[in-house]
Amino acid sequence: MPDFNVRSDSVNVEQIMDQIRARIREKRGVDYTEQQIHELAAVKLEKFLDPRGVRSDLLDQFRKAQPAYEPPKLPNFAFEDATLFESHRAPIRWIRTLLMPLLKLLFNPNPLIQALHIQSRLNTMNAEREARRESSRRAMDQLYYELVHNLVIETTRTGIEVKNLKMRVESLASRLEFNERRARALESAVVYRPSNEEPAERPSSPEPASRPRPSQPPPRQGQPAPRPSQPVYNAPSSPGAAGPSIPSATPGTATDVSQTPSPGGGPAGEGPGQRSRRRRRRRGRRGGASAAAIMGAPAGAPSGGLLHAPAPADDGGPDGADDGSNVAEHHEAEADEAPSTRVEPTPPVEPAPPVEHAPPEDSTKPDSDPQ
Amino acid sequence: MKLAVVVQRYGQAINGGAELHARYVAEHLARHVDVEVLTTCATDYVTWRNELAPGVETINGVPVRRFTVKHERDPLVFGRRSDRVFEQRHSLGDELDWLDAEGPASPALIDYLSKHATGFDYCLFFSYRYYHAYYGVRAAAGRAILVPTAERDATVGLSIFQPVFRSVRALMYNSPEERAMINAVSGNQDVPGVVVGVGSHVPANPQPNRFRQKHNVRGPFAIYVGRIDQNKGCPELFDFFQGYLADPAARLSLVLIGNTLLEIPTHPRIRHLGFLDDAEKFDAMAGAEVLIMPSYFESLSMVALEAWALGRPVLANGRCDVLKGQCLRSNAGLYYETFGEFSATLRAIEQNRWLAGSLGRNGRQFYREHYDWPVIERKYLDMFARLGNEPPARTTDPLPGWFDRRRQDLLAAEDVLAALPGGRAHGPLKGSTMVASTRTAGTRA
Repeated sequence: MPDFNVRSDSVNVEQIMDQIRARIREKRGVDYTEQQIHELAAVKLEKFLDPRGVRSDLLDQFRKAQPAYEPPKLPNFAFEDATLFESHRAPIRWIRTLLMPLLKLLFNPNPLIQALHIQSRLNTMNAEREARRESSRRAMDQLYYELVHNLVIETTRTGIEVKNLKMRVESLASRLEFNERRARALESAVVYRPSNEEPAERPSSPEPASRPRPSQPPPRQGQPAPRPSQPVYNAPSSPGAAGPSIPSATPGTATDVSQTPSPGGGPAGEGPGQRSRRRRRRRGRRGGASAAAIMGAPAGAPSGGLLHAPAPADDGGPDGADDGSNVAEHHEAEADEAPSTRVEPTPPVEPAPPVEHAPPEDSTKPDSDPQ
Repeated sequence: MKLAVVVQRYGQAINGGAELHARYVAEHLARHVDVEVLTTCATDYVTWRNELAPGVETINGVPVRRFTVKHERDPLVFGRRSDRVFEQRHSLGDELDWLDAEGPASPALIDYLSKHATGFDYCLFFSYRYYHAYYGVRAAAGRAILVPTAERDATVGLSIFQPVFRSVRALMYNSPEERAMINAVSGNQDVPGVVVGVGSHVPANPQPNRFRQKHNVRGPFAIYVGRIDQNKGCPELFDFFQGYLADPAARLSLVLIGNTLLEIPTHPRIRHLGFLDDAEKFDAMAGAEVLIMPSYFESLSMVALEAWALGRPVLANGRCDVLKGQCLRSNAGLYYETFGEFSATLRAIEQNRWLAGSLGRNGRQFYREHYDWPVIERKYLDMFARLGNEPPARTTDPLPGWFDRRRQDLLAAEDVLAALPGGRAHGPLKGSTMVASTRTAGTRA
């Protein structure tokens, strides 16, 4: 699918670039860089995700909500054997030291000192353990939040990717549809010019006004594509010109032959297996050959009453840029995938038999030679 | 009239942009005036090693006088000095040291110019960034015409070159963007200047089928021509093109022509053919659907002009002001800045033949109007005639003194560059009176 349409004769690059950018914006919203994805993940999650329950700025909120951990300053001090008798006043300290033997005579302070010393050490160990545990918990919290944050980013990225893939699927579906339409149009776009003798021959036709019934595939569908040198088919003047599919066609009686259904539903004179061969040829024709190759029309073939098939594509030759607007328009039409393709007119298709497409009523001249 | 063309390297086998530019101009102007080329004995722009004999030889009818280079480039010293002047506050002495480390330092060439400059009517200096231009402009004061070939890189932010831009008799620019940038950095709006560019020797009848047969290239293809280097934006091109190939509707292959300094991605639709001669190169370009120019830094893309001369559209990196400006002025190329734009523009050119054909026709017309050799020659000759009627208005600033050289008051060149206005320069390609609507950026801290 092209990204823009250029219809004017003069090219304005600035305008084309604007169109391309507008098209890209229309497709994707914006063209995301890695940084933009991060910004989007942090700010505009609601564009891609259901934001319920998800904070858009997770890490920032987390850091705001939880300031850096500082362990509380619990009262604790080392308790040594001389702690009980310490004083900042030197005379008192001297007197206590002097009377220490007397005090120890009255009671034993050592178990008390030991118990308090052990308690002090326990307090210190507990505080350290608590600090380690809190630190570890906060690190884990950081990891969890980082994980959630990354999940949000990846989900955002996945959402964008899904969106792109959906658009690609749509694009491919439209391409497929267009190709099918084009294939149908090309199959039904073969138009024949009536031969000069035809009006004189028509009265001799046994069913001059009859139209092929829907269930009766027209012989034209079964004929091989005209060769490039014969874009205009006149009534065959020799059996060989009628092609292998109608070996029994005689000069001047092609109309009769075409309008006489064969027992199998095919054209008269069709031998056994002809129908299946025709199907195979048609399938092969749908297989991607260019319109010119299918129809055998040279690029310069006159268009009046002939094929309205697009001109053959230039395969990148040096004159591709200067080979006129016909080729360019054809490619543009292809590129646009628009229904307004150059294959005109695109006729309505009648109900088709199980395998073959019925001819459009107005795409072929009813009085033309169906061969 | 006698003209000296002074350039850092010269020779038929030297295909660098500015050097090829100089050779083309010298050979074409030699049809109108006496031309002598003054250059060095170096052929390698990395080492500046003396590989050719000093003295006079004739190349395509143009006498070429070569001078030896005093010392080769030491990449470590050059890298260290580059870091200093591009990224840090520095002094004039640091910049002069950087210039000496960059090379090709050829005092013999400067001495010759000092003694014989009066024997020439004008001295045409190519590439402002090298030793020969900085000292040669002073040696040939009053006769110097500069073809700066300036890209939007940090070198243009060095202070030593501002007097050079202001003191020459005239400047022959490659693009309006280059002119606007130099006007902004040096304030030389009053120096006569004209946007000239350069032509090319494009064959009249290239044979793309010959190229396809020889190299077994089938199907439509885009082409890149030039050195395959990081500085040319090739890694981004590879990324983008592989992304483009992921689209099943993509039909183009990528053909790379030129010597590579990078690893080419292994992909059946990316083909590297190495260095090809001019005939094959033009055959390939004529057969391509589009020429891709991924470079970020260009003063003028000769390859783009050649593609346009052959009627091929160009897809350029839109972050390069010059390339974007060329595309817009010519209406002959699209440009991209992101992968989305790359893919969309490439598909547009690939799928819309009318668009590709119109772009190609516009490019051919643009080339004929502005870059065909008669146009280029006429611009040079008109400038010579104009300067002949005007006395030199400026004198060259003296070299800085001992204290000035050591004053650490110059901004990092990258900061200076960042302060310069960017984007496409609006103005006519012809004429010399265009003044860019840009401001002058001071470099003193």
